[in-house]
Amino acid sequence: MNQAVFFIKSTLCVISLFFQTAYAQNTSRIQGRVTDESGNPIVQATVVLLPDHQTTVTDKDGRFSFNKLYEGTYQLQVTCIGYDPTERDILVKKSDLHTIEQVLKRNETELSEVWIQERQGNVDNLINAENAAMPVKVITRREIELMGSRRLDEVMKEQTGIAVINDIAGGSRAVGVQIQGFSSNYVMVLVDGQPMLGRNNGNFDLSRISVTNIERIEIIKGASSCLYGSDALGGAINIITRHGAIAPQAHASFLYGSLNVVDATLEAETPFAHQRGSVTLSGNCYRTDGFNTNKEFLSNGTTTPPYDNYSVQGRTRYRISKEGTLGLSLRYAKRNSTMINEWSDELILHDKQGDQDLNLSASYDHHFHSGIRSMSRYYFTRYQTQMQAEWIRQSALASAEEFGQGVHRIEQQFAYSPFKALHFTGGIGGSLELMDNKDLSDERSLNTAFAYLQSEWQASTKIHTTTGIRYDYTNAYHGRLTPSLGIHYRIDDHLLIKMGAGAGFKAPDYKMRYQVFYNPAANYMVVGTDQVREILEAMEDNGELSYINTYMVNLTAGNLKAENSISLNAGVNWTPHKKLRTELSVFHHRLNNQINTISVGSGTGIGQIYTYRNLPKAVNKGLEASVAVQVSTDLELSAGYQYLIAKDLSVLDSIRAGRYPYNQMINNPVTGESKPVTTGSYWGIENRSRHMLNLKALYEYRPWDMNINLRANIRSKYPFQEINGNQFIDEYDAFVPDHVLLNLTVEKRLLNNRLSVRLVADNLLGFTHQYMPGQPGSVILGGISYRWFND
Amino acid sequence: MNNMKTYRLIFNACRSFTGLAKIARWGLFSTLILLAFTSCNKDEDTRPSLEDGKSTVIYDLPGDTEASVGDGVDGKEARPFYTFLYRFKDQRQIWIKNQSDSTRWLKTADWDMAFTGSYNSEIFINNAAYEFNPGYEGEATHTAVVLLRQSYESVTMAPSDEKFDNSEINKIGWASSENSEGWFNYSANTHIMQALPNRTYAIRLPNGKYAKLQLINAYKGNPPAVTNLNWPAPYYTFRYYVQQDGSKNLNTNE
Repeated sequence: MNQAVFFIKSTLCVISLFFQTAYAQNTSRIQGRVTDESGNPIVQATVVLLPDHQTTVTDKDGRFSFNKLYEGTYQLQVTCIGYDPTERDILVKKSDLHTIEQVLKRNETELSEVWIQERQGNVDNLINAENAAMPVKVITRREIELMGSRRLDEVMKEQTGIAVINDIAGGSRAVGVQIQGFSSNYVMVLVDGQPMLGRNNGNFDLSRISVTNIERIEIIKGASSCLYGSDALGGAINIITRHGAIAPQAHASFLYGSLNVVDATLEAETPFAHQRGSVTLSGNCYRTDGFNTNKEFLSNGTTTPPYDNYSVQGRTRYRISKEGTLGLSLRYAKRNSTMINEWSDELILHDKQGDQDLNLSASYDHHFHSGIRSMSRYYFTRYQTQMQAEWIRQSALASAEEFGQGVHRIEQQFAYSPFKALHFTGGIGGSLELMDNKDLSDERSLNTAFAYLQSEWQASTKIHTTTGIRYDYTNAYHGRLTPSLGIHYRIDDHLLIKMGAGAGFKAPDYKMRYQVFYNPAANYMVVGTDQVREILEAMEDNGELSYINTYMVNLTAGNLKAENSISLNAGVNWTPHKKLRTELSVFHHRLNNQINTISVGSGTGIGQIYTYRNLPKAVNKGLEASVAVQVSTDLELSAGYQYLIAKDLSVLDSIRAGRYPYNQMINNPVTGESKPVTTGSYWGIENRSRHMLNLKALYEYRPWDMNINLRANIRSKYPFQEINGNQFIDEYDAFVPDHVLLNLTVEKRLLNNRLSVRLVADNLLGFTHQYMPGQPGSVILGGISYRWFND
Repeated sequence: MNNMKTYRLIFNACRSFTGLAKIARWGLFSTLILLAFTSCNKDEDTRPSLEDGKSTVIYDLPGDTEASVGDGVDGKEARPFYTFLYRFKDQRQIWIKNQSDSTRWLKTADWDMAFTGSYNSEIFINNAAYEFNPGYEGEATHTAVVLLRQSYESVTMAPSDEKFDNSEINKIGWASSENSEGWFNYSANTHIMQALPNRTYAIRLPNGKYAKLQLINAYKGNPPAVTNLNWPAPYYTFRYYVQQDGSKNLNTNE
């Protein structure tokens, strides 16, 4: 073991020596000491020097230093748990030695959650999540460690107001995330502010992403197109990866348990060239056997797919001059999966999928003397997947698909503060998307261009406003402007009121405008709106058309609009006491012009002919409340609750208008009774619970260096599928019942925080249901992790 | 039960750390409260049994499953589904796979229902009068079907002869519009065939007897909801009652 440590240490030393460059001698130094109000030194305080993002910690005397600095203006941030953070400006001249004495004031809160007002800078993205004027939830790396989650969907499932849902219509592998009632195709998933590809019927499978290498997750709940453009109509999940090494360290961890789950990670990071550069590398290997939630009908096999997942990522930053920093990052992930569904001895389906995911990005961060900061970014991503399902006894293919998609994206961002209370961020950029799919007509690529401007203004000591506006243009749809406005009003030290309004949109894609698709098994055809008139006229000329709905054709042909949304939210943060924090907010999202298929005719050979249409509105509204209490220095309790009503207003309209099939009697399949339908019969949209409650207890038992984290995720019943024939959800349809998912993680640290032993138990109560195909029974894992670092 | 086992597991694990503060024990106690409120993992089927002592209930009659699992990929035409015929009196299923089968069976009165088309979902009651009916110009004369928009149990009398004579129902398939007399709904969004409730077919047979028919499910095992697009289909579950005494009494309640 000592030899291995020595080997790693010497390798890291060699790397840093290799990158050492001699610079001119006229460099300066900042050194200092951090003490509390009584003059005692504060040990292990974090000291960050901006804009370089050089980070160090104070030693046992409270001292720190930064060397080889160039002249200019820096900001020095000092933070330590238990104290109020501070920030000060330092003007450094040539060949200067600056000595600082920093006093920190004690603050009794030890709450581990990041307080929203404490903004943490992204290193390669100037866009700030709070500029969406929507509520932002931040999940830190430490919180993820304490949950014991391995994949991103496990982290998301435990957040208030977020659900991970299987989309049956997309096939057995379509799993997506829902935020505040918005379905998965309206939630954008980004890594370091760059969009990720690879959706199955609009669903992004979050289990593709391992949680190693995640520094922080920002979840924006509500329309955020002013930040991220089309597709962020309902919200965004931004995964910020680790960057910036303070000191060389390496980390290895291994978990094993139920369902033969294996999760193995290896990570290393080191600064080099005297903190001018840093590099982090990490690799992860994960496998699972999957799980069967439907033992009644599936004699063998699983409903949750088994898979092997490998991923590797690396990130490096290097300050090439006193003004400029270069960053590069690479991520590659590969998954293979073979799922078996055995319905009987004769009917055995082998469902195979492989996918590969590549993200490459480069950024250059430059500070101009005028105070403008510029960030230039290039991003390339490619996703490809191969899916095949085969009935092995009959040697017949049920489905086979190959799909590949790539995007090149460039963006130029600016940030500028003309004076301290006002801050602007702006940018322009474009992207080029290429799809391998030859089913679509000639226009295979999607080109977009965008420009945006955001401002943050501390109008007075009590009022803080954020505004944003963004213009997006795509070649499959014309341009679009989306604004946002947010106001924070601080009444006093304990009470903050916030309000925000934002807009979002989602442009129709090729398929909806140009593709002609025929399903031979069910004998129907779907035609894009720009082609529908031509196709129907051609069919009529050939005598293949038996019925045409002229009214609907006139309404839809060439007339497809973007889906759009308006999100409003208002809330109160109340901190009556240092150990108690409460938040209450209400939200109202209105979704207009949702795109759905609509029948326009029928043919003599072909059954039904559909095209796409903008249907009127859906509304998601409700309230969210959360409470966090520091019961003692060792015990923290928190709770989060969401009340949601999600309804499709077009269903209510159809019920009122008595349109078929909404006007049928509501049938109770259990008693066989039927009763007339009213607007009150409509329950809401599938897969949304009225009530979601998360309870958490985090207990730290210091004498044993142990953490116990117990969480309960409680969901009230939600509809799974419409089964009584009236095309909307009423009380008699198939529901998943009320349930509790209980998760426990116990972590014990040994050997001076180097070794940690963990016991992770997910779904301790073993709740499963055939209408939740993706939820396994109880999974218990045990593992160890070891960290190498210098003291 | 599962819950008790897991509770014991937690408790034993924690008991070894006897130094735990009262607060941690309180945490366990609240877990117990949560357990009490947990709904058990009941996947019970609460639908009433289809058996009523008089009707014939057919479960999972396999349709042309070879065609349904056949090569339907990349828009390639799968082999067309073979039609099968069904006879009420002895529950016989008759396959029509080639010309000699057609010649032997179609124009006779030896069958009552034909399951044709994609997934055998387009159903015809043997009728010599209608073009497109497999029994066209055959021996099944004076037959007719009337759709009664009420539950199977509540149909106690067959409709009048006049209603039968005026009925023009030929194909019973996808009920895509309000006036359609089909038996199921298919949504392009969910891709699932869903039998519609409150649709009972009153039939006048070639021998003058009356019957009622309900088509229940096209998926194997008659599940209340389908959780997988590859769920085995077509496997027909349906029930019917033939009044042997020749009257219009179709009451199947005890």
